[in-house]
Amino acid sequence: MISVKNIVKKYDGKEVLKDLSVDFPSGKTTVILGPSGSGKSTLLRSLDLLVRPESGILDFGDIKLDYSQPVSKKLSFDIRKKTSMVFQNWNLFPNLTVLQNITTAPITVLKQPKQETEEKARKLLEQVGLGEYADRFPSQLSGGQQQRISICRALAMNPEYVLLDEPTSALDPELETQVLLILEELSKMGQSMIIVTHNMEFARSVADKIVFVEDGDILFDDTPDKFFNHPTTRIKDFLSGITFNDEKTTK
Amino acid sequence: MWHIIITSLPEMLTAMLQYTIPLALVSFFFGLILAVLTALIKFIQPSENKLIKYPWLVLRAIANFYVWVFRSTPLLVQLFIIFFGLPSAGIQLSPFIAAVIGFSMNTGAYASETIRSALLSVPQDQWDAAFTLNFTTKQTLMKIVLPQAVRIALPPLSNSFISLVKDTSLASSITILEMFQVSQQITAKNYQPLLMYTLAAALYAVICTLLTFLQHYLERRTSKYVKGSEA
Repeated sequence: MISVKNIVKKYDGKEVLKDLSVDFPSGKTTVILGPSGSGKSTLLRSLDLLVRPESGILDFGDIKLDYSQPVSKKLSFDIRKKTSMVFQNWNLFPNLTVLQNITTAPITVLKQPKQETEEKARKLLEQVGLGEYADRFPSQLSGGQQQRISICRALAMNPEYVLLDEPTSALDPELETQVLLILEELSKMGQSMIIVTHNMEFARSVADKIVFVEDGDILFDDTPDKFFNHPTTRIKDFLSGITFNDEKTTK
Repeated sequence: MWHIIITSLPEMLTAMLQYTIPLALVSFFFGLILAVLTALIKFIQPSENKLIKYPWLVLRAIANFYVWVFRSTPLLVQLFIIFFGLPSAGIQLSPFIAAVIGFSMNTGAYASETIRSALLSVPQDQWDAAFTLNFTTKQTLMKIVLPQAVRIALPPLSNSFISLVKDTSLASSITILEMFQVSQQITAKNYQPLLMYTLAAALYAVICTLLTFLQHYLERRTSKYVKGSEA
């Protein structure tokens, strides 16, 4: 389990995470929801040390990190080894082929043997339906295909947790579905995941736990059933605010 | 006319092969090394470790000073100081060495900014992705950022190289018998300034045209991964 305790993050004196504590159970899919600018991505990026909060504790059970203290290279390495990140704009390396995008980190960072790593990478590509694209460059593929490759890149590091920062926000609905199906499958297989998303249907179908963040605070931390079927007033507003039809009828 | 060209060409070509091309190649080689080092010193943020941070900031101050000096003064004056000036301070250099030092440091100063801007053009997203995969800064530079930066830096670096080839004519002023100096000497004998200087200009143009072809070749090679490039 990942536990975050009393995490505080400020940008230019403004608190974007306000003394926030939350657990992310292992083997489960936790979905983080909330309006834009609420601090969802900041929270997620704190887990992978892409963002350095001013204070708070990050607890992986066997490893603990105090954000207010200097972080050694070893500690940051160990924490990042447990997590892998999938970005909104996938951030594939354009100068490497699809296969190299997946294998370069396991080979250079984890010192895995080349041949074995490549075989594994090809299998991952098969699983996401992109087996024949191994030797292409990312620029030759669609956004949805690139995002599926970035998921393979994350999985190839054998992380305990896969962190996904709005993985489908930059995709059109058809491409989005290709990516969501893969994530749904991963979730079913019991891969620990933490997903920031704006897609409510997806959240409802994959989440084991929903965390609702607003203004750097956690307003809800419970099951999807409670979130969608017994929402508080604020959550009701949030859910209706993002549905096109409801928006029209209320005006 | 053809007779004059044919009789003076061997001397001109000898000067070109003996001085102009070696000066340009050697100076660009060292200039590029200086440029990469200078750009990296300015680009990389040192870690908070005091043993690394303070020496790094000193290096950065030196790098800034170096670029400032060589971009703020004329190349010809730099060559004069190195060749005619330094002996007064007890440093005697052969004309060729003095020229290589002057050209390398001058090109290095300009090219360092080219390389730094190419490094800056690689998005932060690439660094984020590399760091989450646990690449070190060095690994990220070598495998991800530099290969992308090289592609961006190639056209402006080619500018620097082509400029350098022509700037080697300034070496004539510190007693080097490079191509332009030889054309002057021949002119003094045959009184054909228009013909001789045009011939020199044409020979510089030939080298620079070949370099332009090389640039296009390298651009194609480093752009394989870019959409729309035929590879």
